Amino acid sequence: MGRMRWIEGVLVSEGKGGVYGEKLLQGFRVWNPYRSKLAALYYKGSDIELEKETKILYLGAANGTTVSHVADYAEIVYAVEIAPRPMQDLLVVAQKRKNIVPIMADASRPEWYAPLLEPVDLLYIDVADPDQVGIAWRNSIFLKESGSILLMLKTRSIDVRKDPEDVMEQASRQLEEKGLVRKDMKWLSPYHQDHAAILLSKK
Amino acid sequence: MPEYETVALQDILYSTINTQVLLMQSYWFGDVDEHGCHPFVGGVPEQARRLEEIRVEPGTYVPIDWEIALECGYIHDRSEYIKKLRDLCFFIAEDKISRHFSGRDIELLQMVRMLDEMDDVINLLTERAVEWYRIKNPSFSRKYRALTGKRMINIMKKEHGRAFAEIIGDIERLQESRTRLMHEVSRIAGTVLPNCSALIGGLVAARLLSGAGSLEELARLPASSIQVLGAQSALFSHMRTGSPSPKHGIIFQHRRVHNARKEVRGRVARVLAAKLGIAARIDYFRKEMDQDFMESAQAAVDRAGDGKDAVD
Repeated sequence: MGRMRWIEGVLVSEGKGGVYGEKLLQGFRVWNPYRSKLAALYYKGSDIELEKETKILYLGAANGTTVSHVADYAEIVYAVEIAPRPMQDLLVVAQKRKNIVPIMADASRPEWYAPLLEPVDLLYIDVADPDQVGIAWRNSIFLKESGSILLMLKTRSIDVRKDPEDVMEQASRQLEEKGLVRKDMKWLSPYHQDHAAILLSKK
Repeated sequence: MPEYETVALQDILYSTINTQVLLMQSYWFGDVDEHGCHPFVGGVPEQARRLEEIRVEPGTYVPIDWEIALECGYIHDRSEYIKKLRDLCFFIAEDKISRHFSGRDIELLQMVRMLDEMDDVINLLTERAVEWYRIKNPSFSRKYRALTGKRMINIMKKEHGRAFAEIIGDIERLQESRTRLMHEVSRIAGTVLPNCSALIGGLVAARLLSGAGSLEELARLPASSIQVLGAQSALFSHMRTGSPSPKHGIIFQHRRVHNARKEVRGRVARVLAAKLGIAARIDYFRKEMDQDFMESAQAAVDRAGDGKDAVD
């Protein structure tokens, strides 16, 4: 256990169902790639596996749908979200899943929640902010040396005028200039439009 | 604290922090420095307050392994660490949410959104009722009579037929609720947004608030954004395809903008938005009417409407 679980080509996670009306398959929770960018990435193929020991800092937790699946796999999820309405939903999800730590804070100001965190294996970023690159960089202080960053880049939040391909290339370049190494990049189409999943590490 | 533990702590800290002088670092469970760790003592609310006071320097900060809290004597195992941390984080989140929703601007925002939604629903129902009415009255045509929805309802009220009459009655009642809600929105906007309301009227001010998301967000917007708030689709098509930029969004609903001559309308919108930007900040920070500002702002908007420059 610990590896991603598939049943007849359908990605699932093991945990108590009925979080947001997700379907169940042989008692497992179906993880829909059209609703979750991380699920979409697994459908496209990814080396990032969530394991029982994985500690995750999840930025842009929103209503906690993806977070709930991540929590089914990981040891602990630090879920950061700033907006009050989604946070209300996230709290309900976190009440049932004891390995979610809901943090109501602005992901672009990590110094505020820094005293709450421990070093993490995976920094997952899914925020609709023009400065997603800066957010990724500033939050990389929480990453273990061996850890990875998974940046779900919303190219349209950065610049709607530019070609998504150029926005992605520019973002990758900016992060590599800061010393991060790009390991992989995948577009999330057809599940999500103009979203790129960029995998980075410190070395 | 026994000697060996302090040494172990120091080892851990020195291996992670590559600085000559070791600064004290504060974490949610306590303070850590070269002499060891001082666990936090007290209840969750004090712990949350303490957390707000912790200043972290991004340059020197190091995330700390949870085992430090263990050595610190703050917890006994991993599950207790997570439980205490969660208790703290739930408290903070619930506190922030309740503070957010207690803001009076937040209720005003829901009220004005309800108002706009009711307008849509009333229009939709009226349109449908007219289609129905025409079947019953083949000679009726609305086309050249410029009948408003309200007058249309008055005509249709005379039509009999149980279900039809009942629905018309419902639409009428919806209109009444809508009018009451509108007055209430204007009234509350006058107290939550006194300066903005004085400039453009309570209803339009409330719609600006709704477009921005909250009074705080409205106060943080630059005037150029306030000017085109509500014209997002035109703005994005302008940015993407280079079509003409929108001159006004929600503020078009204000009479001085839509009554202005076409040549100066953009100018009026720009000056008005600039003054609204200031007004929103007064509303947010000072929460009271500023008479001096209002006089000069009103004069500037009027001057722009006369085709003169806005500079004081």
